[in-house]
Amino acid sequence: MKLSKESVLGLIALATFLLLAVIAPGFLSSNNINSMMFQLPEFGLIALAMMVVIVTGGIDLSITYIAALSGVGAALMLTNGYGILPAIIVAILFALACGAFNGFVVSKIGVSPILVTLGTMVLFEGIILAITKGSSISGFSEGYSLIGNGYYLGLVPLSIVIFAVFAIITAILLSKTSWGRSVYMYGSNETATLFSGVKNSRVLMKVYLYASLLAAISAIIMTSRYNSVKVDLGSSYLLQSVAAAVLGGTNIHGGYGKVIGTVYAVMIFQFIRNGLNLLGFHSSLVDVVIGAILILVLAMNFFSDKFKKIAETKNAGKAA
Amino acid sequence: MKALLKQKEISILAIILLIGAVLSFVSPVFLTIGNFLDIIEGNVVIGILAIGMTLIIITSDIDVSVAALTTAVAVSIGYLFTFLPDSWISVLLLFLIAPVIGLVMGLINGLLVSIIEIPAIVVTLGTLNIIAGLVLYITNGNYVNSTNFPQSFMAFANYELLGLPILIYLLAVVAIGTWFILKHTLIGRSVLAIGGNTQSSVRVGIDYKKVKLFVFAYMGFLAGIAAIAQTAYTKAVDPNGMLGLELTVIAAVVLGGANIHGGRGSIHGTLLGVLLLAIMQNGMILARIDTYWQNVVTGAIIVIAVSYDHLSYKRSQDKLAKIEVEA
Repeated sequence: MKLSKESVLGLIALATFLLLAVIAPGFLSSNNINSMMFQLPEFGLIALAMMVVIVTGGIDLSITYIAALSGVGAALMLTNGYGILPAIIVAILFALACGAFNGFVVSKIGVSPILVTLGTMVLFEGIILAITKGSSISGFSEGYSLIGNGYYLGLVPLSIVIFAVFAIITAILLSKTSWGRSVYMYGSNETATLFSGVKNSRVLMKVYLYASLLAAISAIIMTSRYNSVKVDLGSSYLLQSVAAAVLGGTNIHGGYGKVIGTVYAVMIFQFIRNGLNLLGFHSSLVDVVIGAILILVLAMNFFSDKFKKIAETKNAGKAA
Repeated sequence: MKALLKQKEISILAIILLIGAVLSFVSPVFLTIGNFLDIIEGNVVIGILAIGMTLIIITSDIDVSVAALTTAVAVSIGYLFTFLPDSWISVLLLFLIAPVIGLVMGLINGLLVSIIEIPAIVVTLGTLNIIAGLVLYITNGNYVNSTNFPQSFMAFANYELLGLPILIYLLAVVAIGTWFILKHTLIGRSVLAIGGNTQSSVRVGIDYKKVKLFVFAYMGFLAGIAAIAQTAYTKAVDPNGMLGLELTVIAAVVLGGANIHGGRGSIHGTLLGVLLLAIMQNGMILARIDTYWQNVVTGAIIVIAVSYDHLSYKRSQDKLAKIEVEA
């Protein structure tokens, strides 16, 4: 039986879970599982956004600042007495405006995404600082805090339901729509895609818009959970989201990447972070472990590819 | 091609002169030698790192672990200070040990990129996490201040030769040395060749893996030197002091005309890029622009600069294509 890359990762996630359940005291307690489910969605959504961009061969370094800016948008509405729905709409609009700007420079002007988003990262950070003057905005209505802290049907955290919904939507968009197919095509060969009649710039624009939409959803969950917003909202997720996407099997040069792989990778990160915490490890060692896993997995990929190639040439030799 | 390169660096210089002219009207302090020396001395660390990053970007790779590398070496320097005797030999030893520590870490990056063939951005992302995490774990985030530094190092840090701070000489040595390597040595020419066209350069017999290993190891080496400069400049070792600096370094290199897809880039261009970012920051402070708006301006300038650069590059490529069709 042959397992896909994603299934192997799923098994690794399961193994991590079981291992930590055995060695980390209190890992399986309902309290701990609950807190993991509350922490996972905000990071998961950013990782999905990053994955979609990486599939096109790009990267979005401004994604966490897009999230922070849209969080600021929501916070401004809420503290000025508007309802929850207008706040959410403004958050999404703020994010879409940022995404459209990134998308415009990447798709119409054609600058490489890493440079554009490096610049817009500083730009968006500056806009947030200019709005908030570096301080945090806090004190939202109780209804709003339910998004990040409430339960769906009194059982499952509402935020993880939102995450699941968006993960499924992303999977369907990528694998079942013509836009999704074009995203993969663009990622594997830009020129061939253009020559086969795909409007590359439109595909790319939608990629950056969709990524910023996911960032906005993540921002809504984060602001609701923390009940405040600051310029560094979620900024620690930036490089971690790239790591999660890559660990999830996404090709950093574009052309390949699956939602389920990224979700497994996000789960592995969450289990490890939580488990090491329970085992009393210093929080900065979690970064070390995550970095080591990232490199190890890719090194293992390299060696397994190499062995496969050696085996193939041997077989070919025998056949001849 | 050479004319094009020349044009590019001159246009950056023109922008710098323009901003400089505006600033000298806005603030009388700007055009003083003291202010200029402050600007340069304050950007020696970024300058040294940007020079190393230029080589990596020329080979169309990227290294996001530089700030973590430099911090790790700086923290090691802080520990070394507790062992080293208080004499000028310690300073000399420091210049031997720090670059070697950096070199070893750079070699790890290089080996993973060249032998194991993991994309550089992923490798350096991983080593960034590992190194930064270990540094925070070991130091607990505490910083060491100059009271624990040997007097000889303080004397070195404050030393001025012909009225110029010693750190400026350090940057000059690194810049000239790297320029020489890039221009006049086999390995330097190979760096440019690989960036220009990987396949052709491999066909003519350039060892691709060796060149990749070299650029990352050299980056580590320079990170070691930058760590000495950082310690001498801030007169402290702060494990959190350089958070996110890698992006400033990359921005400076790109502003200086290096192409992220490889093949283009020069040391003087990079130094101009560093200068441009530095003057902007200094100028905005002198012009009393609200600090909260400074990032907006910096970000906007980066986006405009890379867009403009790409448009002019596209225009020149279009010209090339037309000639081919004719022939």
